[in-house]
Amino acid sequence: MAAILQNLTYQGIPIWRHALVIQWTAQILSGFLVVFLVAWFFFNIANAIDEREIPYGFSFLERAYQTPIGQHFLPYETSDTFLYAFVVAAVNTIVVSIVGVILATLLGIFVGVCRLSGNWLVAKVALVYIEFFRNVPLLIQLYFWFYIVLALPQVREGYVIADRLYINNAGVSIPFPFPDGAAAALFWIALAVAGIIAGTAVHRALTQREITTGQSSYPLIGGFATAIVVGAVAWLVISFVAGAPFVVSQPAPQGTFGRIAGGFTISGGLMALLIGLVMYTSSFIAEIVRAGIQSVGRGQIEAARALGLSPMSTLRQVTFPQALRIIIPPLISQCLNLTKNSSLAGAIGFADLTNVAKTMTQTAPAISIFILIMAAYLAMSLAYSLIGNLYNRHIRIA
Amino acid sequence: MKRYFKYVAGAMVMAGIMAMMACTGDEPTAPAPVAEPTAPPAAATAMPEPPTAEAVPTPTESQDVQVGNRLQTVMDRGHVICASRNDVPGYGFLDASGNNVGFDIDLCRALATAVVGDPNAIEIRLITAAERGPTIQSGEVDMLVRTVTWTTSRDAQWGNYAQTMFYDGQGFMVNKSLGISSALELHDASVCVTQGTTTELNLADFSNQNDLHIEALTFEDTAAVVAAYESGQCDAFTNDRSQLAALGTSLANRDDHVILPETISEEPLGPVVPHGDDQWFDIVKTVMAILIYAEAYGVTSDNVPSAATGDTKVDRLLGTEGSWGQEPLGLSQTAAQDVIKAVGNYGEIYDRNLGPNGINLPRENGRNALWANAPCQDCPKGGQIYAAPLR
Repeated sequence: MAAILQNLTYQGIPIWRHALVIQWTAQILSGFLVVFLVAWFFFNIANAIDEREIPYGFSFLERAYQTPIGQHFLPYETSDTFLYAFVVAAVNTIVVSIVGVILATLLGIFVGVCRLSGNWLVAKVALVYIEFFRNVPLLIQLYFWFYIVLALPQVREGYVIADRLYINNAGVSIPFPFPDGAAAALFWIALAVAGIIAGTAVHRALTQREITTGQSSYPLIGGFATAIVVGAVAWLVISFVAGAPFVVSQPAPQGTFGRIAGGFTISGGLMALLIGLVMYTSSFIAEIVRAGIQSVGRGQIEAARALGLSPMSTLRQVTFPQALRIIIPPLISQCLNLTKNSSLAGAIGFADLTNVAKTMTQTAPAISIFILIMAAYLAMSLAYSLIGNLYNRHIRIA
Repeated sequence: MKRYFKYVAGAMVMAGIMAMMACTGDEPTAPAPVAEPTAPPAAATAMPEPPTAEAVPTPTESQDVQVGNRLQTVMDRGHVICASRNDVPGYGFLDASGNNVGFDIDLCRALATAVVGDPNAIEIRLITAAERGPTIQSGEVDMLVRTVTWTTSRDAQWGNYAQTMFYDGQGFMVNKSLGISSALELHDASVCVTQGTTTELNLADFSNQNDLHIEALTFEDTAAVVAAYESGQCDAFTNDRSQLAALGTSLANRDDHVILPETISEEPLGPVVPHGDDQWFDIVKTVMAILIYAEAYGVTSDNVPSAATGDTKVDRLLGTEGSWGQEPLGLSQTAAQDVIKAVGNYGEIYDRNLGPNGINLPRENGRNALWANAPCQDCPKGGQIYAAPLR
């Protein structure tokens, strides 16, 4: 009897101190808290909308937007719908962010490496660059570049180089081969994909060769060259067979005001925005690169030098591949920052997503517009982050 | 799979928010008309006297959102919050000693005097043009006076427009060196415009109607617009004509610029109050009417009579005899007297800010003179400034 009782009586730690119980309780409580907070925010918004009769809904997306958009990369007419205008604006932001991320990364790596240079002057210039651009608010920098661009001559008195290149405070215009219709645009994309596939294949083969034979095979240069050659040859061949799949548009002054039409124009606002964003972001990237490089053990570099590798080879083949693993995650978040910071464009007159969408709030419900803006930036950021994480997984040590 | 969870989750949260917004899209339409409109009018009609303060909170059923009770909120707070600006001379600007001055600011001061009894009991919230809608929709300010054009969709979505206090119209400013004399010559021109304004929308209409293919350069604030225009980044600068005149004073060479003759739009400007509080709406309308009728009756800040004059209209205005609705509005008997003593009548406010002592916009024979048979002796008449009679 006593033995049975002994067996029935729980003798371990008390139930409320059991690890499982504590973990589950915490989970459930925090779950409730999250649900409560989300519900509270939601009902607060719903109540406010209700009480103040704030308009909402998404039916406006079908209506014609009827308002011009400054510079745009997709064709746009004022008769297009809100939805399409929103897409046009989003593409503006995407273009800024892709070009900005590429330039900022290249410049950032360059400055970061310079920062560690043995040359005193180079290292100090890089230091000043980093500390200046990193510590002045971006909006102020954007205004600065905006006023610099405004100081260029007016469109009617601007610089004209060889009748082809126009530089003035409204923007820089260059001749540009636009694809001739939708079929041609698809053809261009096909060429680019073919080039990238061929380039990647060559890059892999050369890397393999370098690893197996130990001979320098320059996989990066080989890959890029192949991609360009494949694309260019295919383009030329098809141009001869089927006629040129593009029209070269030449910029030229037009009308009473001598505004430049045709060609491809990087507007003054876009110029100022890109310069500002690239300078600002590259200073952060430079610090990330520096940290990455410095994290590689000194022994690695000494060993590479002892093997007779040149400083450049040491950097390229030994330091950088190892530094990359540390650099990539914070680099991704800098790319996201650049994308989100581009929303300041409205201050300097570039029609980015936020600028256009804020104009939309005049004729459409503000709440709906802001939900769309948030969704668009979130989608962009998650896409970037996905690509970045895939790459991060690709280079990590298995 | 777990690696991509956050992307999936992110997408789902967004989808969820959209879905919730879509769902509530149907719900509020049903309960709202039943619960709300019935209650406030009952409170307003049944209890016109002080009890309004206690009577109104019940229908709203929420403690801190004072829909229908703004008068009490403002009196408890001790000052009026107005959304306005400080970047356009004449309308809303800072004087040499840093005080808010301007036509819009004076309208806010008049309201503060009527409600709280002190023209300086104001708090000016500085907002951009594009922020005007959300600011007044949220009800965080008591009045929006920031050169806001009255339009039907703004009236429906933003708040209630109380009274047109200035009739404006949109124009264009260009550099004389362009040699153009009409806005219809702006083919393929690049035009600078401030974001979130009717100006921006009218520009689009004007360009579409006349097939001008105008390129709009949109900036968040007016200072950037002026800088871009002055540097020649755009060929023309568009805004309400009075603001073109005001902002023109800040250009380096004002004489090099000309305002084109075309007026392409109607821009009636005036104060806006948040939706959902009829009493507050009425108070603002009445204060505007007081300013206008004070000028019509020839009462200025200098000559406010201390006792009854025998002229029943004037005595009613000043509160020495009869009523123009002080009690139901919840204002003091002498509110009009206080307002006129503190900020002056419509004509004085105009002269101080927009007239000879301000940015010098002519009022004589213009739309901003009083109506044709206004009873005053030598005030400018023949215009459209008119309000509901004070009785």
